[in-house]
Amino acid sequence: MSDTTQQTGVRRREFLKILGVTSAGAATVGCGPSEAGRLIPYLVSPDQTVPGVSTYFATTCRECAAGCGVIAETRDGRAIKLEGNPEHPINRGAICARGQAALQGLYNPDRFTGPRVKRNGQWADITWAEAVQLFRQRLDEARSGGRAGDVVFLNRHETGSFPFFLDQWLSQMGLPPHLAVDPILDHAVIAANREAYGVAWPSLSFADARLIVSFDADFLDSWGATVAHQLDFADARAKLRDAPRFVYIGARRSLTGLNADEWIPVRSGSELAVANALLAAVRGAGRADVAAAAQAADVPAETLQRLGAELASARPSLVLSGVTTVQARDVARVVNAINQAAGNVGRTIRPAEPLSSFEGAESMAELGSAVERMRDGRVPLLMVRGVNPVFTMPKSAQVAEALGRVPFKVAFTSYPDETAELCDLVLPDHHPLESWGDAQVLPNVVSLQQPAMDPVFRTRATADVLLEVAMAGTPPAPGRPVDYRSWLIGRFPGGAAAFATALATGLTSGTTPRVTPRAPRPEAAPTPAPVEGEGDFAFIVYPSPVLGADGANKPWLQELPDPVSKICWQSWVEIHPESAARMDIQPGDVVEVQGPGGTVRAPAYLYPGLQRETVAMAFGRGHTAYGRFAKDVGANPLDALSPGFDRAGMAAWSGSRVRVRKAGDYVQLVTTEGSARQHGRGIGRALAVNELGRGGASGEEHAGGHVIPGDASHEPLPGLRAPIAADAEGDLRDPKKNEVGMYDPAHPTGMAKRRWAMTIDLARCTGCSACVTACYAENNIPTVGAAYQSGHTQGLPKTAGANILRSREMAWIRLERYWEGDEASPDFETRFVPMLCQHCGNAPCEPVCPVFATYHSPDGLNVQVYNRCVGTRYCSNNCPYKVRYFNWFGYGETDRPQYAWPEPLNWQLNPDVTVRGKGVMEKCTFCVQRIREAENRARAEGRELVPDEFTVACAQACPSRAIVFGDAADEQWTVARQVRDERAYHVFEELNTFTAVVYLKKVTYPAPAAAAPAAAGGE
Amino acid sequence: MRGVLGVFRELDSAVDAITALRQAKAGSITVYTPTPRHEFEHALAHGPSVVRRFTLIGGLLGATFGYWIAIWISEYWPMVVGGKPIPSWVPYTVFGFEVMVLVGALSTVFGLFAVARLPRLMMTVGYDPRFTEGDYGIWVECPPDREAKVTEVLQQNGAVEVRRER
Amino acid sequence: MATVARPAEEMPRPNIPSANIQLPAVRSYQQVNDEIIATLTPTGAWFIGLGIAITCLLIGIGTWIYQIYMGLGVAGYNPPVMWGVYIITFVFWIGIGHAGTLISAILYLFRAGFRTTIYRCAEAMTVFAVMTAGLFPILHLGRPWKFFWLIPYPHWRFIWPNFKSPLVWDVFAILTYLTVSTTFLFVGLVPDIAALRDRETNPVRKRIYSILSLGWRNSDREWRHFTRAYLFLAAFSTPLVLSVHSVVSFDFAMALVPGWHATIFPPYFVAGAIFSGLGMVFTIIIPLRRWFGLRHYVTINHLDAAAKLCLFTSLVVGLAYMTEFWVAWFSGNKVEQEYFLNRVFGQWWWAAWIMLTCNMILPLTLFSQRLRRNTTWLFILSLFINLGMWFERFVIVVPSLSHEYEPWQWTTYAPTWVDWSILLGSFGWFSMWFLLFIKQFPVIAIAEVKEIIPPRLRTHTATTDIDAAGQHVDYSPETPGEHD
Repeated sequence: MSDTTQQTGVRRREFLKILGVTSAGAATVGCGPSEAGRLIPYLVSPDQTVPGVSTYFATTCRECAAGCGVIAETRDGRAIKLEGNPEHPINRGAICARGQAALQGLYNPDRFTGPRVKRNGQWADITWAEAVQLFRQRLDEARSGGRAGDVVFLNRHETGSFPFFLDQWLSQMGLPPHLAVDPILDHAVIAANREAYGVAWPSLSFADARLIVSFDADFLDSWGATVAHQLDFADARAKLRDAPRFVYIGARRSLTGLNADEWIPVRSGSELAVANALLAAVRGAGRADVAAAAQAADVPAETLQRLGAELASARPSLVLSGVTTVQARDVARVVNAINQAAGNVGRTIRPAEPLSSFEGAESMAELGSAVERMRDGRVPLLMVRGVNPVFTMPKSAQVAEALGRVPFKVAFTSYPDETAELCDLVLPDHHPLESWGDAQVLPNVVSLQQPAMDPVFRTRATADVLLEVAMAGTPPAPGRPVDYRSWLIGRFPGGAAAFATALATGLTSGTTPRVTPRAPRPEAAPTPAPVEGEGDFAFIVYPSPVLGADGANKPWLQELPDPVSKICWQSWVEIHPESAARMDIQPGDVVEVQGPGGTVRAPAYLYPGLQRETVAMAFGRGHTAYGRFAKDVGANPLDALSPGFDRAGMAAWSGSRVRVRKAGDYVQLVTTEGSARQHGRGIGRALAVNELGRGGASGEEHAGGHVIPGDASHEPLPGLRAPIAADAEGDLRDPKKNEVGMYDPAHPTGMAKRRWAMTIDLARCTGCSACVTACYAENNIPTVGAAYQSGHTQGLPKTAGANILRSREMAWIRLERYWEGDEASPDFETRFVPMLCQHCGNAPCEPVCPVFATYHSPDGLNVQVYNRCVGTRYCSNNCPYKVRYFNWFGYGETDRPQYAWPEPLNWQLNPDVTVRGKGVMEKCTFCVQRIREAENRARAEGRELVPDEFTVACAQACPSRAIVFGDAADEQWTVARQVRDERAYHVFEELNTFTAVVYLKKVTYPAPAAAAPAAAGGE
Repeated sequence: MRGVLGVFRELDSAVDAITALRQAKAGSITVYTPTPRHEFEHALAHGPSVVRRFTLIGGLLGATFGYWIAIWISEYWPMVVGGKPIPSWVPYTVFGFEVMVLVGALSTVFGLFAVARLPRLMMTVGYDPRFTEGDYGIWVECPPDREAKVTEVLQQNGAVEVRRER
Repeated sequence: MATVARPAEEMPRPNIPSANIQLPAVRSYQQVNDEIIATLTPTGAWFIGLGIAITCLLIGIGTWIYQIYMGLGVAGYNPPVMWGVYIITFVFWIGIGHAGTLISAILYLFRAGFRTTIYRCAEAMTVFAVMTAGLFPILHLGRPWKFFWLIPYPHWRFIWPNFKSPLVWDVFAILTYLTVSTTFLFVGLVPDIAALRDRETNPVRKRIYSILSLGWRNSDREWRHFTRAYLFLAAFSTPLVLSVHSVVSFDFAMALVPGWHATIFPPYFVAGAIFSGLGMVFTIIIPLRRWFGLRHYVTINHLDAAAKLCLFTSLVVGLAYMTEFWVAWFSGNKVEQEYFLNRVFGQWWWAAWIMLTCNMILPLTLFSQRLRRNTTWLFILSLFINLGMWFERFVIVVPSLSHEYEPWQWTTYAPTWVDWSILLGSFGWFSMWFLLFIKQFPVIAIAEVKEIIPPRLRTHTATTDIDAAGQHVDYSPETPGEHD
């Protein structure tokens, strides 16, 4: 890495030089030097750019198809943080974990540092000139060979100008159009939607629905535009009394399913029958269907009848399909019919205002047939960009063998993934944060993509490479674009100036050129393909909510526990506890899943949220290449599948029959879960909707329902009530008297008038864990689970996650997932509780520290002084919330084997936050760096802080807007109002810690039949 | 410094000798005994040891200092922890006590050294290694004209050896 | 005492008041010097023992260096179990120390005669145990090289420690304890060093002894002040020994951790400490009296009396265990109750039952005088007591932290070889010092033994004020059952 650092050193000098040029600003907007064009932000004019002060670039996230708007914060020419773009119509300021982790793709230590060619099996670095030369030569050979028509270009599905640009280039070269591939896109729904509405993805209005029914549609994990759907869903739930009830139908209760009020565990494969029954019910006919469907789905008929009636009465409702079996397209059709019948179209389903992000994707079947052609040796040249078919298609599809038959393969990928490893020439592409581009997110909204920084490595934008190839030999003519950026600007309505202005927000109205729509794929078969495989279990493969298809090489995502199983750095097989008991499978016992395509082995995780005859696995791990963080971690469930497709050509990942047997050996589950039950301690509390308005009295008790001496649970938030930072107990004063706090109101710092506090609305929180990754990004939290960090964790296997097995994960904010109610029945409830430092008014951790390394600041923060800490760890022992984390190894020390940020991953580190050394305690600081920055800015501008002027990293990212941060002592801040909510409570109130974090109880919506409050007390 | 040293085997003879010597006002008497015996204290009739004063003063100083350091530092560097009062005298009793014991004990030892004339650098005159084993010794520091008398008294009382030293 | 003289078969095991234990087989001051100073000549076995001790110590040191370089992660810590073997062993060694001070100081004030021949050994044990214990708070720090930040030293920026933290109380208590007990040991040694000096022939050692003896001459003036000063030191050490372990118990009692937050802790810890210390005294003194041939100094009567004390403290400790359970139940605090259930019948049942068996059940055998006077059994029992008391601290530290308020953070804990070898090293460190001590200084207080054996007199019909032990002892041949 040394050469790159040196190289970047040079780059940074250039950057500073450019900073000096004041008049460069105007020039750069236009067709100035490309370096400058990349580097000068469009929010501020260059002469205002100060080293050490962040500049912000509005750009577009390319981690998934949705195309959210992000704002990249850069410091001295390095992107250090991604945040949602508040003005963006899709994500409205929120951002998911995968979006956050784009930075770790940018700085990934295993990225290709430059072009390389494979000479007799060995990779060799070459110069760009040689590489392009070689590329052109092979390209010409392929074209001259008369088999130009068989050349295949696989491009990851994206909207915007590039697909058009690419097809233009291909046609110019006389090559067929490219294939836009997205392995985890729901092609079945897209196909059905095209039929029904003429658009791929109508926008969904959860807030207007009275009832939401989802057939496996995991709109909170990975189905559709997750962030957008999550925002809408949370807003709908925030309507409390008027919020829609949510029923989830499916063989596996996903993260989305855990957020449902009712889960109907239908047998896998019976979704179509159930959907038809509901359709009949909505149309007001067909009791028989219900009985039959119930019988097929192995659920009580009255449940379906009740749901049918509910669906018929609740108007409008919202019914979604995300089934991934061979019947996917048919279910999607029936579901659309239900929506039609229930009159949801136009109300909760709005084809008029569709999401454009999902237009133009080719079905996996297309990719399948391309692979077929390769296997037949008919493809002379393959070009791959951002697609990894070797990993994302079942092993039984023999993609690797097929690639072997292709004479020359060019990868425009910047990561050493399985496909790139098999290619002959690698022309590494820029990371989206380094390149120009745009995305069509709404029919008339284009989200622009601009480089946030100078390229990290010797990579080159694919579009520029293609341009160079196309223009090779021909003299540069005036007006012809020199690179993709000028091509974009050239096509931009209003030209450079308008482009520059648009870049400020990263948004512009209008449309990008569409690729010529290909004729819809003919029906594969009149009847759905048969279910593959045999065995007494149905196998469900679902894309991991945190990893997606290609997140495995990003340590943040690997370390982010799965929202459902809370397992990280590992693959697992979900099996129902009863089935497990029958087969004598304990958690961690390795089980072998034998499917139609082969077998896959992974430790068992006993999950009550499964239909009894089902096993499930998450897709995303099990790479055989793809860098140090992904290689040999976990297993790939696709290994067990056969390359089957549904009628829309979507890969049928679910429903195939498998045999499951105990493999005999045991692997400890890398889980962050201690006890999955709350033991009546009232950590995550809830009340039923009919209990609202009763002052929050939910009948829930904490700690066994006894009134414990010193129990403060009836005090209305004492720690926050005071006008100044009065934490309940002042200097030997009466706890009831809160007008005076521990600090003199006239404290010299003037900070004593504030009381920083936070509310977390459990009715909104969906457990998606985006806040966790946001915290990792903002606060330089090390990841500790990588295999190379496990070497000195004694007494454990040196595999990935060894430190997590010792529960040494450092997540300052963690998402606790508690089961409530009877796990044996499908009606068990889930409580998601984001748990972070509660910044107690009377913090138990403070007095026990022998060296004042933690103390209480006048504005109510529980401060941790890293360089004063000697590491007695007494504070953690005395913390009831267990939110303090210790640096067991030198995660921040470059010369230690546990170093968490191998070059250039350390470029992402936030310069405002210390990297903690070995042997010190750390914890959530309420993003004190952001607080102080805002305060200083206000002071510099000679004003007071404006209420809600800023917020902390977790709150900023939260896609369900569950977290609110602010000054509880000032009425004008939102948080000050929220803490008076009837649902407000402190965790462990009886300890008189007077926390600054206030939780708002979750609200449950019992089924109309079961009128009794289903809000089981924290049992 | 000169005098007569008598070595005794038996306790009672040594005690008798002391009584006799004191009646004879022979001179200043130093008794050596392998182990402390009350008989000698009675015979010599010394007052109580003054070490106790050192102990008292040391203890008082220690307690004061213990409280003072804790309270002064808290006030000097006022940091709020856990909503507790800045100087909390109750827990500071620990320091008052511990430092009292520390200073008190050390000053006791110091007092012992001071009044017992320790450490003693030379022990030429008027001592015999036997005194740390089994024998008792009486060293009478007296002018030459008295030595004869002292010697006689010692021998009468059964000294196994009497010698004049200077 | 007449009973001693009686033929064995009539009363084979006289039950002797502990204040009244005689040494019938020791006849003269001369004999005391000869026999005790004879034990100072090094033997081959001693060198071997010392070698083993130093090896263990080196293992410990090496491991510590590895731990300092890598970080504490190499130990078995499993958050939220943030304290482990090191703190357990710290409390263990501190506890060991307490018996020494108890025997040398408290029993001195109580005029318990049986202390005389064992106190030197116990006191040396105290000093070395505290020296060992003192290492562990430093060992377990995340940044051990910063340990001095806990000491209130004048800093150029006037940064001071937090006097509200029990850990700072520890610093004061332990440093005081170390200083005072060392002083106490040394002051008591001075007359004996003088005795060594006077019979030493090797010029070098003689020189060293002369310096250490401070020119002590056994003069009446010295003795007069010495006895008084010794009394005051004892009077200081007595509350000190109680306070030190109370302060150590505050480390736990001041926290709100379930299982720690209990007002019973100070007395409970003090009793436990003395109990464990007596165990260690037996472990050390029983082999020692055999190897050094001092069985007629440390007689069965001494061990018997000490065993009674041991039994008493064991009962106190047992009561404390029961009280903890009762309090947990009576408090109505569900968190507390669940914790105790988990401690005894859940996750940690094995540790809890090792503790209860070794500390509560086995010592009950000491009610039998036959076993009290059986050195073999006493020795085995003492090993069990050491084990049990180590596990008592384990049960206090680990299960509490692994089963706290926050169920999501319930974990388990397993030490690694790093913890174990540092524990081993601590035993090496302790034994090294102790072995060095017993060959340089008398393990039995020469001058004080001379107090309890009657002086040589011209006539045996002396007046009553010529008596130390309270009465005459007519020396008969060795009475059976006295020192086998």
